Amino acid sequence: MDRIQIPATPRSPEVDFDFAAGRFRLSGESYPEDAAAFFGPLLHALRTHLAASSSDPIVFEVALVYFNSSSAKGLMNLFMPLEDAAGEGRGVTIRWVYAEGDETIAEAGEDFASDFSHARFDLVETSRAGN
Amino acid sequence: MTSDPAADKASPVIGSPARKRSLRGGGPLRGDDFLDLAGFTDASASAPGTMRPGALRGSARGRDLDSLAHTLFLRIYPVIAIVVLVTQVGIAWVNYTDSLRLYTERANLLVTLTAQAIARPGWSERPDVYTTQIQALTLDPAFRFVRAWNAEGGLVMSIGEMPSGRSIELIRASAAVTVAERAEPVGRLTLGLSTEALRSSAEKQALLAVGATLVLMLAFVLTLHANVRKHVLAPLKRLLLAMREVEHKRWSIVEFDGAVRASNEIDVISSAFNRMVEGLRAGDEAKQLLADLELAHAKLADANHQVMESIGYARRIQTSVLPDRMALAGAGLDVAVLWEPLHQVGGDYFWLERLGDVSIIVVADCTGHGVPGAFITLIVATALDRVLHERGLRSPAEILAALDEMVRAQLRQDGRGSDSDDGLDCGVCIWDPEARRLTFAGAGLSLTTVTDTGVSRIRGAKRGLGYPRHGSERFSTGNVTLDVTPGDTFYLMTDGVTDQMGIHGTQRQLLGHRGVADILLRTREEELGLQIGTLEAELAAYRGSEGRRDDMTLVAFRPTCRV
Repeated sequence: MDRIQIPATPRSPEVDFDFAAGRFRLSGESYPEDAAAFFGPLLHALRTHLAASSSDPIVFEVALVYFNSSSAKGLMNLFMPLEDAAGEGRGVTIRWVYAEGDETIAEAGEDFASDFSHARFDLVETSRAGN
Repeated sequence: MTSDPAADKASPVIGSPARKRSLRGGGPLRGDDFLDLAGFTDASASAPGTMRPGALRGSARGRDLDSLAHTLFLRIYPVIAIVVLVTQVGIAWVNYTDSLRLYTERANLLVTLTAQAIARPGWSERPDVYTTQIQALTLDPAFRFVRAWNAEGGLVMSIGEMPSGRSIELIRASAAVTVAERAEPVGRLTLGLSTEALRSSAEKQALLAVGATLVLMLAFVLTLHANVRKHVLAPLKRLLLAMREVEHKRWSIVEFDGAVRASNEIDVISSAFNRMVEGLRAGDEAKQLLADLELAHAKLADANHQVMESIGYARRIQTSVLPDRMALAGAGLDVAVLWEPLHQVGGDYFWLERLGDVSIIVVADCTGHGVPGAFITLIVATALDRVLHERGLRSPAEILAALDEMVRAQLRQDGRGSDSDDGLDCGVCIWDPEARRLTFAGAGLSLTTVTDTGVSRIRGAKRGLGYPRHGSERFSTGNVTLDVTPGDTFYLMTDGVTDQMGIHGTQRQLLGHRGVADILLRTREEELGLQIGTLEAELAAYRGSEGRRDDMTLVAFRPTCRV
């Protein structure tokens, strides 16, 4: 499947879904006017990839500094098939990246983490200076 | 404006074969008229009604252009003709005078030689001496007459006729017949030679000069006409046609093919003209675009005005659904409310009501903002009203569960198939003033409390209400009951309050619950209304140049001291 790369806009995150490498990344801010329209195609692509590909491991990185509740729903929808894939034995790692001191994002990550039991969910704090 | 905008956009090349057809479809066939007439036509005669007065109209007439050839001819030809004529006549004159001189010398020579040949005393008495000699003179092709006189003046011999008066066609030469031993001449000899041949030769030369001049004129006229037409008139005609087109905002450029080769000057002018047309066309297109843009802008402004008017109306409806902010006055609570949708209307909703002995405080954050969010708030408002008044529920946890059920039923998210992926975060507090007890339950929304011991946050259930779920999964959460001491202050707020993007230290980061709690703690001594004002100002300061991300609602309440 072709790599999906969508540049960030003021209201939507940068998307980089590298299916071949098994690396997926969302970064920036996410509060599109129509979150379903934004996340729908991504979810479809992810599901297709999971259904089609072998059991290559997947690393899904989320490094958002803000997302609205509709985007949270969109993220949840992306995470569900990943958790299912992990349940079937696939190596799935979610990297939830947040800046040091950003409790809102850290808390949201903890909330998401509690929904996973098979996939590995890493809360990754980045230092203020770096990244 | 022309009748066919597409024709305006095209850039017809004047002089190309396609140009034979009208550029304007059904419009007046002015272009055809022009070229069908071999030269140029009078524009005003071809279509007087459709032709604007213009500076080019007159000069586009063929007469004016053809007169260039006439002018050149009339100015140049006489000079050449006169020069040729004068030269020819001069040559003829020189020839003529030379020949005349030669003739005269010849006559003198002949007469002198003859006079010497016959000179002897008594020559006139001896015809054998002079007859042969004098007769020999008639052999000269120009001979006219000869007369010989003796010493006494008597005519000795005469051949030919001697004209009586002077004639320009005659050269006379006389010689005296002298002998050495006599001083007096012994006779006289006069010879007349005709110059007729000379004259006819001069006439021939003159005729030749005139003929040459005429031939020259013909050649000159033909050459001039052909060259002026090819190098000047035809290119100028194309240029003028193009100018007329341009006058009517049809952006024609000029190109010269093999048949028409412009002189350098006209070529330069045509190139300049083409550049000018390109410039005009670009300017015209820009003007047109600008006009289109202004029109589009006006339409947008109009549409925006209508939408804003409509949303303003919607805001009146939404605010009328919200409770009176003084609804809990007398229930032993100070209440302050911040309700600030991002776009006039929004998905945030709050409710304040006294229900018999207790009071209820509800804050809800529905998915979406703006008009879609506002729709959900109306569903929530209706559902809440039924939960409180038809079903008479007073337990926050039960109220949330009932709301969840009703909202999902309303949005058909309960398995009957729905497009809706909507829901809400909600926090419910029931205040019992008698027991001085506050009961809270939340779904995706927390209760923030500021007490003497600091700030704490009681988080509700993680999940919000509504949203499609699998099967008959129900929402359920528990109540949290708090004993209230005077001075404790409680805040129910939507995430729009805490999700303020701004610069924290060196990076862009949300203010978060911690940030908001810090502000509330710092300002805890303030009267509630003032505190909310301060909070709003601090949020704006934190945002700086960043815009708000979401609707904001915060309900603050502080149980008053028992009276």
